[in-house]
Amino acid sequence: MVRRFLFSVVFALSSLMATHAWADITVLVPSGSEGDGLRAAAADYAKLKGTKVEIVQAPYSNVFEQAANAGQTKSGAFDIVLMDDPWIPFFAENAHLEDLTPYFKKAGLEGPDSDFLSKSLAICRNPYNTGPYVCLPYVGNAQMFFYDAAKFKEAGIEAPTTWDDVLKAAKALSEKGGGRYFGYVFRGGQGNPVVADFMPIFWSYGADMFNGDRTKVTIDTPEGAAAMKTFMALRDVSPKGVESYNANEVGQALAAGTAASSINWPNWVATFEDPSQSKMVGKISYSPIPAGTKPGSSEIGHWTMGIMAAAKNKQEAFDFMLWATSPEQMKISAERGNPPVRKSIFTDASLTSQEKFRHYPVLMQAIEASTPRPRHPKWPEIENAFGIELSKAVAGTETPEEALKRSQAAVEEITGIK
Amino acid sequence: MTVSIGAKFGNSFERWFERHLRVLMLAPAMLVLLTLTIFPSIYMIVAAATRISPNPDLPWQFAGADNFLRLLTDEQFHVGLWNTLVFTVFAVGTEFLLGLGLALLLDRYIRRLNFLKTILMLPMMLPPVAVAITWKLIYEPQFGVLNEIMFRLGLPLQAWAGDVRLAMFSVIVADVWQWTPFMFLLMLAGLASLPDEPYEAAAIDGASAWRQFWDLTLPFLKPIIAIALLLRIMDTLRLFDLVFILTGGGPADRTKTLSLYIYQVAYRFADPSYAAAISLFVLFTTVAFSTWFIKRMRLAD
Repeated sequence: MVRRFLFSVVFALSSLMATHAWADITVLVPSGSEGDGLRAAAADYAKLKGTKVEIVQAPYSNVFEQAANAGQTKSGAFDIVLMDDPWIPFFAENAHLEDLTPYFKKAGLEGPDSDFLSKSLAICRNPYNTGPYVCLPYVGNAQMFFYDAAKFKEAGIEAPTTWDDVLKAAKALSEKGGGRYFGYVFRGGQGNPVVADFMPIFWSYGADMFNGDRTKVTIDTPEGAAAMKTFMALRDVSPKGVESYNANEVGQALAAGTAASSINWPNWVATFEDPSQSKMVGKISYSPIPAGTKPGSSEIGHWTMGIMAAAKNKQEAFDFMLWATSPEQMKISAERGNPPVRKSIFTDASLTSQEKFRHYPVLMQAIEASTPRPRHPKWPEIENAFGIELSKAVAGTETPEEALKRSQAAVEEITGIK
Repeated sequence: MTVSIGAKFGNSFERWFERHLRVLMLAPAMLVLLTLTIFPSIYMIVAAATRISPNPDLPWQFAGADNFLRLLTDEQFHVGLWNTLVFTVFAVGTEFLLGLGLALLLDRYIRRLNFLKTILMLPMMLPPVAVAITWKLIYEPQFGVLNEIMFRLGLPLQAWAGDVRLAMFSVIVADVWQWTPFMFLLMLAGLASLPDEPYEAAAIDGASAWRQFWDLTLPFLKPIIAIALLLRIMDTLRLFDLVFILTGGGPADRTKTLSLYIYQVAYRFADPSYAAAISLFVLFTTVAFSTWFIKRMRLAD
């Protein structure tokens, strides 16, 4: 009996070890298309090179938590983390990420090649665009403006290029919609969602969270007020309850044809062009972010691969990253639904001739004109505080002026910049 | 010769085993308790009195009472505390009244309809995550069933969990739906154990149904009511899953509870020290309240 029990324990332990500890590289990725894409690439890599790559998939916010935990405790649980780009300053400045310079040197390279888009590479350096590389870009996300061209034409706007155009069309469409159809919809949910959909408008009126040399918080400024005015006007033509909307609600509204326009991420294109999920196949147009008083700018939201400082197999991790971001692999990744970060893939005729990649020229333009979220190691806390005030403004529990004033005070408090 | 040494060794081992049997039997449980409760508690107290940097190369710094003093000026903590109290009072109050009412109704008038009791208990058996997702779909402003009903009835559509005025109410309704059966079950068990004689005597004395309820049923049920309220209050003070899924603490911070805030501080802002301080505050408040409540209701007797 005892012998049988001991045998079972040994068997269970060895099974666990076989499935977990024997992986050569462990990669933490988010749920959804980005993580699925890298999972598929890892399987290809394992077949090709015989290296076992284990993929740990978690929901968006849990990826940050798990990576931060692994970094803080130096657990070495993950060799690579697929990070959302605003997390880079936190991981890099808290010594969670490996500097990639020696790995490039060892591979006989100066750094990533010039086929990568410059904005995609800039976010992988810390400090932004000037410091050493701490990651490699993998998924080329940047927001675009999605709209139903036929409806906008009905409302007297051919192709919206400014926020005034959007407002004019959205107002007319919402008034005509009688509470069942809306000209505009956005992510108004507290925190990351509302901040992500406000920042492009903020930038297109010349506002920014900090001044150039980051010695001053600049939220409560005339430019910020102008952006807020447009944002509130857009709220007024959006569906009731937009203050709780996240990506799914916005995507569903567009796919179901109950809203005419929104700022959105490129991974939604596949949904809008899929007849089993969308009533709007072939009807949605894509454009760069409209202009305010300044040219429009998308929020960049790249998924990037970094090596954890406590990783167990750093060289193998780097080799995998280099392989996964090569032009050949990036093309396969694009075909699997993840936007690329290389010019050659964005302009590859065999892709752009297909209907499902018709947004590529606009997306490349959007990435080139994009802005990163303010690069600060305390970004999650800043985003939370700013998101609360924006949520209050959207919900109408405080005036837009109060929201700007309180956001300014909160960000000053968090960053210590007065 | 060898046999006798072996027997001697065996006897002394048996004596030692018998002497320490109680300790040995308790050891596994004590080990589990030490690992899972006592060590984390001590660790939490140490963490709350230090400043832990997200950078693993930087040493922990002694912070004294700084993290606790921060509670006094942290507006988000105050919002979380207020929301938790509002939720606790209204959710537990409603669940208690509905649970008691349903138990009285089913105990007296429809005692034989056992299937009804089973149906009423179903929500309690569902995982909180499933309940939260179900209510999220019900409340969905564009495609949700609630607004579809409102539309068909010609009533104005609402944003429900997305509306600042209705968000807390929406969360309370979802919680009441899930946990009223728990109150109902306890009250029903309490009612089933009541003696018949006092009621027969009261009926002979001409006491009205209301009088019987007020002077007999309620005092008899007092221990059960106290335990039910205590369990539910301790549960609602820890509310996390429902708001995390349903509202994320919004809109405009109207549904942010203390547990949600602790989670944000610990995992989103990577500040385990301050999260430990808030957790200790919640722990001591809950213990203090429970002790006071048990004494007040004389449950210890």
